[in-house]
Amino acid sequence: MNGNNRSIRVRWLWRLAVLGAATFGGLAVATWAPAGQSDNGAAAGQMAQPVTVAAQAGPRIEITKHKFSRPTLTVPAGTTVTWLNRDEDLHTVVSTTLAFKSAGLETDEAYSYKFAKPGVYEYFCTLHPLMTGKVIVK
Amino acid sequence: MTDDSTYTRDADGAEVSDGDGVDRRGFLQCMAWAGTGLVWTAAGGVLSSRALGQASAEEAALGFSFVQISDTHIGFKGEANKDVLGTFEQAITRIKALDPAPSFIVHTGDITHTQKAGAFDTVTEALKGTKAERVFYIPGENDVFADGGKEYLGRFGGPAGTGWQSFDYKGVHFIGLINVLNFKAGGLGSLGQPQLDWLKKDVERLTSSTPLVVFAHVPLWAVYPKWGWVTDDGEQALSYLKRFGSVTVLNGHIHQIMQKVEGNISFYTALSTAFPQPAPGVGEGPGPVKVAAEQLRSVLGLREVNYVQGKSRLAIVDSTLA
Repeated sequence: MNGNNRSIRVRWLWRLAVLGAATFGGLAVATWAPAGQSDNGAAAGQMAQPVTVAAQAGPRIEITKHKFSRPTLTVPAGTTVTWLNRDEDLHTVVSTTLAFKSAGLETDEAYSYKFAKPGVYEYFCTLHPLMTGKVIVK
Repeated sequence: MTDDSTYTRDADGAEVSDGDGVDRRGFLQCMAWAGTGLVWTAAGGVLSSRALGQASAEEAALGFSFVQISDTHIGFKGEANKDVLGTFEQAITRIKALDPAPSFIVHTGDITHTQKAGAFDTVTEALKGTKAERVFYIPGENDVFADGGKEYLGRFGGPAGTGWQSFDYKGVHFIGLINVLNFKAGGLGSLGQPQLDWLKKDVERLTSSTPLVVFAHVPLWAVYPKWGWVTDDGEQALSYLKRFGSVTVLNGHIHQIMQKVEGNISFYTALSTAFPQPAPGVGEGPGPVKVAAEQLRSVLGLREVNYVQGKSRLAIVDSTLA
């Protein structure tokens, strides 16, 4: 399990790096950027660190073939997480405590939620309840 | 293996158990598959081919027929079918051409894809154009996920507002069940205790010779639990039906024809009018499958069910839109 998590984490760092590069390459990543955080990053002069810039855009969980790409994700409080449906099927992202609830996400539609407080947030797809995941906020 | 043995025997050639335990042994293997474009009839365990709408004189005189359509997914815009309205309307045209006209139509769910405004109306309006006396709507998860079933139950929930219902027609007792409400994380389709209690009471007054037909969206039997193609308390529901001599269970959800017989209970899943899904366990997961445009209509379809009075048998005729 740990090994698996680690490999996911490594892949994610790679993706962050790519994202960062994409940002500087002028590609549109604006849809991932949570509102209200860009000022802080710019003021701190961290634009030269791709990973940090990408982290500001928030982690992304993709849905493909009825699976969440990162079923367990750990983030610091204040992080905005985005789910992107890459599947042909319709899916939702709904907290088991109804702390958050997306609308039906069609192909290429995304849903974002800002995790303000620490805790373990379990969620699932209400159309396909075997699709489950959790976000651990520290 | 002949068609007949596929229909009535399990994978080892033994008679399918009609005892109290549900025989899960080799259940996948004993499902008969209807191939592309195949039209078949199952009557009294004997398979024979016939064409949709060609009821025999005997059936026309003594029995009645009804139509099952399923998984119309109005609102779906994916690559698997860019014109779900077109294929749905083609199914309607087929129903209108049936002679004699079906007594009623049952839609076994996923009426809409996204529950967007107007989608239910599209389906109800189109089905009004058929000669059927009535249309019964069973919800799929796509019909209730956005609002917990509020709109569905408001439209189709009946006087009790629960949605589950039963009625008698020419000696046959029909039961519509709902197994897509209140999905829990990590869970499966379920009926829930109030509905189970209702079902038990509903059939208690019936004699065991009454033919039963049961509708539900998600299969009541374990087609493929790993993909959620099962109802977790389905066996409890079926336990109330085992004393009956003829039980036919018609489901949707999996967008393909499968059948299985356990004792006196025959299970059938139906084609969708919108898009196909993979065979159980084939590929990474369930979901819409894109086939070549010229093949699409051969994997979509509808079902006519004929009942011959006094014979306690139902003739199931699946036909594709090809």
